[in-house]
Amino acid sequence: MMSKLRSGLAGLIRHLMCLITGLYLLAVQGYAQEKVNVSGKVLDEKGAAIIGATIIVKGSKGNGASTDESGRFTLPGLVPDAVLVVSYLGYQTREIPLKGRKSLSISLVEDSRLLEDVVIIGYGTQKKGDVTSSVASVRPENFAQGAIKDVGQLIQGKVAGLAVSNPSGDPTSTTQFRLRGTNTIGGANTAPLVLIDGVPGSINTVAPEDVESVDVLKDGSAAAIYGTRGTNGVIFVTTKKSKGGETNQVDYNGYMSTSRILKKPDLLNATEFAALYPNEDHGASTEWLDEIMRTPFTQVHNLSLRGGASSTNYIVNLNSNSSEGIMLKSANETFQGRTEVTHKMFDDKLQVKVGFLGKKNKFESTANSGSFSGYTYRQALLRNPTDPVKNADGSWYENLSKFEYENPVARLEESYGDVKNTEVRFNGGLTFNPVRDLTLSGVMSYVEQKRNHGYSETLNHASARRDGFAGWSSVGASARSESLVELTALYNKQINRHKMSFLGGYSYNGVDFEDMYFSNFGFQDDQFGGWHNIGIGSALKEGKADANSHKWTTNLIGFFGRATYSFDDRYLLMASLRYEGASQLWGTDNEWGAFPAVSLGWRITREPFMKDQNVLDDLKLRIGYGVTGSQPVNGFLGVAMLKYDKFAYVNGKWVQTIVPASNPNPDLKWEEKKETNIGLDFSLLKNRLSGSIDAYNRNVDGLLYEYSVPVPPNLYNKTWANGGTMQNRGIEVLLSGVPVTAKNFDWHTNVTFSTNSNKLKSLDGSVFKTQFDYFNTGWLAEPVKTESHRVQAGERIGNFWGFKVVDIDENGKWIYEGADGTRIAYNDFSRAPEEKQIIGNGLPKWYAGWNNNFRYKNFDLAITMRGAFGFQIINEARMYYENAKNSRMENRLKSVNDPVFGKTTLSKDIDPEFNSYYVEDGDYWKVDNILLGYTFNKLGKHIKSLRLYTSVLNALVITGYKGVDPEVNAEALNPGYDNRDQYPSIRSFTFGAGIKF
Amino acid sequence: MKSKIVYIFITVITLVLAACTKLKDDSYGQVISEKYNPKTEQEVSYLVNAAYVPWRETMLLWNGVVRAQELCADQDVLPARPNGWVDGGIYKRWHLHTWTTDDDSALQPWVRTYTGINTCNRLLSQIEEGIIIVNGDIKEGLVSELKVLRASYYYILVDLYGNVPIVTDFKDVSLPKQSARKEVFDFVVSEISQNIDKLSETARGYYYGRINKWGAYTLLAKMYLNAEVWTGTPRWTDCITACDKVIDFAGKTGEYALESNQKDVFRTANENSKEIIFALPFDEIYVTDWNAFDFHLYTLASESQQTYNFTNTPWGGVCVIPQFIGSFDPEDIRLKENFISGQQYKASGEILTRADNGKPFAYLKDVPSIDKSDITDGYRWGKFEYATGITNRLSNDWPMFRYADILMMKAEALLRSGQPGAGALISQVRQRAFKNNPGKATVTDDQLKGGSVYDYGRRDENRSTQEGGGDITYGRLLDELGWEFTQEGRRRQDMIRFGVFSSKSWFSHDATKNRNRDLYPIPNSARLTNSNLQQNPGY
Repeated sequence: MMSKLRSGLAGLIRHLMCLITGLYLLAVQGYAQEKVNVSGKVLDEKGAAIIGATIIVKGSKGNGASTDESGRFTLPGLVPDAVLVVSYLGYQTREIPLKGRKSLSISLVEDSRLLEDVVIIGYGTQKKGDVTSSVASVRPENFAQGAIKDVGQLIQGKVAGLAVSNPSGDPTSTTQFRLRGTNTIGGANTAPLVLIDGVPGSINTVAPEDVESVDVLKDGSAAAIYGTRGTNGVIFVTTKKSKGGETNQVDYNGYMSTSRILKKPDLLNATEFAALYPNEDHGASTEWLDEIMRTPFTQVHNLSLRGGASSTNYIVNLNSNSSEGIMLKSANETFQGRTEVTHKMFDDKLQVKVGFLGKKNKFESTANSGSFSGYTYRQALLRNPTDPVKNADGSWYENLSKFEYENPVARLEESYGDVKNTEVRFNGGLTFNPVRDLTLSGVMSYVEQKRNHGYSETLNHASARRDGFAGWSSVGASARSESLVELTALYNKQINRHKMSFLGGYSYNGVDFEDMYFSNFGFQDDQFGGWHNIGIGSALKEGKADANSHKWTTNLIGFFGRATYSFDDRYLLMASLRYEGASQLWGTDNEWGAFPAVSLGWRITREPFMKDQNVLDDLKLRIGYGVTGSQPVNGFLGVAMLKYDKFAYVNGKWVQTIVPASNPNPDLKWEEKKETNIGLDFSLLKNRLSGSIDAYNRNVDGLLYEYSVPVPPNLYNKTWANGGTMQNRGIEVLLSGVPVTAKNFDWHTNVTFSTNSNKLKSLDGSVFKTQFDYFNTGWLAEPVKTESHRVQAGERIGNFWGFKVVDIDENGKWIYEGADGTRIAYNDFSRAPEEKQIIGNGLPKWYAGWNNNFRYKNFDLAITMRGAFGFQIINEARMYYENAKNSRMENRLKSVNDPVFGKTTLSKDIDPEFNSYYVEDGDYWKVDNILLGYTFNKLGKHIKSLRLYTSVLNALVITGYKGVDPEVNAEALNPGYDNRDQYPSIRSFTFGAGIKF
Repeated sequence: MKSKIVYIFITVITLVLAACTKLKDDSYGQVISEKYNPKTEQEVSYLVNAAYVPWRETMLLWNGVVRAQELCADQDVLPARPNGWVDGGIYKRWHLHTWTTDDDSALQPWVRTYTGINTCNRLLSQIEEGIIIVNGDIKEGLVSELKVLRASYYYILVDLYGNVPIVTDFKDVSLPKQSARKEVFDFVVSEISQNIDKLSETARGYYYGRINKWGAYTLLAKMYLNAEVWTGTPRWTDCITACDKVIDFAGKTGEYALESNQKDVFRTANENSKEIIFALPFDEIYVTDWNAFDFHLYTLASESQQTYNFTNTPWGGVCVIPQFIGSFDPEDIRLKENFISGQQYKASGEILTRADNGKPFAYLKDVPSIDKSDITDGYRWGKFEYATGITNRLSNDWPMFRYADILMMKAEALLRSGQPGAGALISQVRQRAFKNNPGKATVTDDQLKGGSVYDYGRRDENRSTQEGGGDITYGRLLDELGWEFTQEGRRRQDMIRFGVFSSKSWFSHDATKNRNRDLYPIPNSARLTNSNLQQNPGY
């Protein structure tokens, strides 16, 4: 919030730049005026001295002073017509022309702008001071800078309670979001709703460079106006706008960046491998990871043109992003253009807005319909380092009869293809004010997303040489269109100290999806075939390849209303109701659901009894309750459906059988999340310190899940039903402060802290009954082959479920602790499912972030840090690559030679298994983003400002975790699982420039 | 102007609201049941044949009945391999008979058979209600077929779990009640007996892969053969009668007969084999479950891909217990034809070599233990032909019931009921196995009454004991069943009938002396969804 003020100040200065410069030039060039010494005092409204206020002589470089303990200042040698700019944090900046005076008494008025700041809430905005629910805003000055992947990374660690993680270094991946914990086990809505200027989109819909601000609705009372989609919170992404009457402005931002693997897995080299496995020494020395990695180069350019007159404004934003990954042939290229025109007419009563976004994305594909295959990375990790890359004759060195063993370089070089995404978004809006206080608006949008992918493996690829899939190829396409119509009417009225507003609206959201896919093999050569000529392979003709297509449509219809009322800006009330129907529930008895919310606010500082205190600037207590929901993922679960099933052999022919598609469950209904939020907003010491504290309690009722049921009487042993209840509780704290503010040096800091405690209270619901109080989920692939997580009533989501080892015997064999707590020797341990127990949990119990912005003269330095604590990680790479038995004779981590529990190395008789030894504490603290910039103001005639900066992302990780990155997947029901095939995280280094014309 | 805009605005809102409160109900790729009205015989067959699909899955999908019958028995073992095959110890527990109520081994046969039963119940109910319209003349036969098919799923359940719920009414949505093993047995026998006369007598054609009268008699014979174990009361005469029905029909029509080469029953294109009475048809193209029928992948080592040019790399796997191989007469053709052993060659004829060290690749008889084995240790399953160039799935049909079984069931019933003739029947089956030395084909009734030549005893690198098989009553007949029906997913049932399942040791398995392990436990997850289910004794 402090930074907002700072930016406001900067804006003001920028606007006056010409004038100032002109005056200054006039002053120095013009007449040799008589200099005067000026002294004065700076006071607040109540006449108290303001200490540390800054007084700058307008147009001068560095000529200024600060007030002392009595609020006094002196400035020597001023020209009599100088203008003083007096500022102090939390107060409105004033400009005082000297007009020849030598002694001044300047009073500053408290700046209530912070509280007047407008915050986006659903279908409208509210003054921050009036907000009664938990809403967080992140402004550009707090955005992370550098090689930012998407909007998620901009706000990572900046919103308490919003866990943003970035577990993959793949340039085509996006960040992951979770707000206030895991709130569903099988509902459709798992992530926050992302609205791009009010229209549903995703976190990578717009380029991060094109974002003006991000607002997050956290609690249910705020999000309930969005009904079901808002159940995991709402993230508003506001793109850059042109402002009324602004002079034309052109901004260029660009950067170049490179990156490296965050932490390279420490594998045996050829010598070490040969020492351990002398029979497997094939003579060469290859660092396989280096063979598939590179030093990537990324460049991003963003150009925005803004301008207009008082009635018409436009912005055009062009963005080009060409990112390379650290792995060969992994890259991502996006070009997008966005334009928005607003026009006011009929005496400004009608505002028309038309927006358009076009986006073209393309990336190289060395995996079927994807970017980079994790299997290739795996092969680089496990491949024998004494294998050469190529034979003497230049052909690939393979050993294809070895199980699951392929040359990773060959995998990359012998495959080709690309994925192309295009997206077009149209949106239009009309806002009409027929009479004072009434606003009618309509928003319409249409989004079309298309994806085309093609992938081929050559005849020299392992698939052809080993499996006979000559030239295996696939080609596919999908198209998704989404339309949105939202109509609202808003009536605002203020009668004396009574302020009220009423909103009514209708929303229609429809999605249409279709895709198709073909695969084929049996190509005669690499020249004529491949994915661009999929039909000529033989396998489709023989019925051995795939051809499929799908289509589905859904819609979501909502009616909503909201009323707000406030008395004297002291007592605040907001109540809303959304009545919503989802096509996924068509045919059930509960197609429509009602989602109410109410919230109250009390601005304590406006009470008469607080009048005389001057510590607190503002103190507001908020309390809110809201119901949101989630529909099931699939439709038609309430009615009996028939599907084609497997083939049966009838009279010499294979015929497609027809069977019921699922157990119909007409009782299926919305999963409901009821959330209570209590919050306190405060600002004190003239806004030097401000913040908010929120406590929430979320109870999710009627959890949607595919529950186990008996067969018979059911058709299938799983039924989608509304089962048990889950609770999420937590506290979120945001503290913003300005420890230092002086003429040349500012330090703005903010701290976020959040906790989350999750509990699945029951799987047995009021509608659906089950004896099951658990189910297992997550999967560790062969040779371990077991489920990794258990979801159990009475426990947290994210529990790891495996064997517990407590020690190792002298032979290097595990000593277990049985489910009853006794020590069991390796050979006596049954390894039965019953011996498993909870050996960790992958969901962090608390998150913290600490963001700092420093300014020294024209330098700016930002250091953002964040961390997650109280969770564990399943280090799958260690589970596999530290196993000493290594029966497949693959490469190992160096730690294979380390003694286990400090005693002895693991026995060579022990098979890889999932046990607690491979579960590690994941606690980490990251110095996430270090940014150093320098701004040149007014360079030459045409450049308003130039800023150069350099930054590091993922700069430093403090953790005890032994894997590549402790920031692992925290989504779904198997959080904390560090997949050994995960594209490794990166550290990136960026040099960038921003120019304003 | 102003009012006009308001007017347009309101009109637009009204129209939109009226038109746009309808939730989408367009389904693609699926059909709302109410909108589908099958009428033609062909359409009906799409619905009805769904009831057969669970049979092939019951037997052969991952951790199906074939494994439930073989991996716990004395012929096959799935030891830890360099490629893996530890899988949380499930295969070891199978071998040691220490499976738990949560093990997949107990769960999968339960889930799949009840899927079949449920499908039969649903179809019977739909036919009765006229939702599926079947013409009067074929209706009776179809209903009978579905009832016997349903009984055939209970045959698996009564064997593996014993005490299971009998569910026949699709409309009854209450939690099923458990029945005792004898009640289940009686239900199966009575269902077959009541419906058998309405079943088709057609051997193949439309009835290939379906339950006809002869399949039903074979099933009935199976029930009677095991009646003593399952109910406490032997039914040898009934078993002989049921077998004779099939033998008479075969004799009269020639529709069923022994193949002159046993191998021909297990060829890729075996659908015309006269030996097969009830087949579960497979096809690599049409049966699309990944593990539908994957013996080749789960027995052979990766290197063997080059022998057969499979489109998938095998990850084997299961191998034959050396003691079982040791029980064979070296001249028995089945020893050579039913197992893959010795030096392997590439499809081109070149010598196959090991991927790790380049040495010649040969499958060796010995296996160190359940916990340890090299890629080449143990002879591999080779009874079913592995066609060159096939995918991860075999196209060979699964001979669920075959004519040799009829002869041998009858032989066993004769022998156990003290009647002569068993030797002649067994010799008939043995003839094709000893073509090179026909004298050895003959076996007498007395020989069959003698002990087993299987050298029972714990026999792995950790421990070796000598138990032998000489003390087994009708042990030689048990050997004959083993030699003829290896890899056919039934060994456990035979061993239990001969009393050796819990009394003998083999390979890494020590005799449990625990008859409770003759039954699998009711799966824990089934009990969690149905509180009426009591666990089997000893679990």
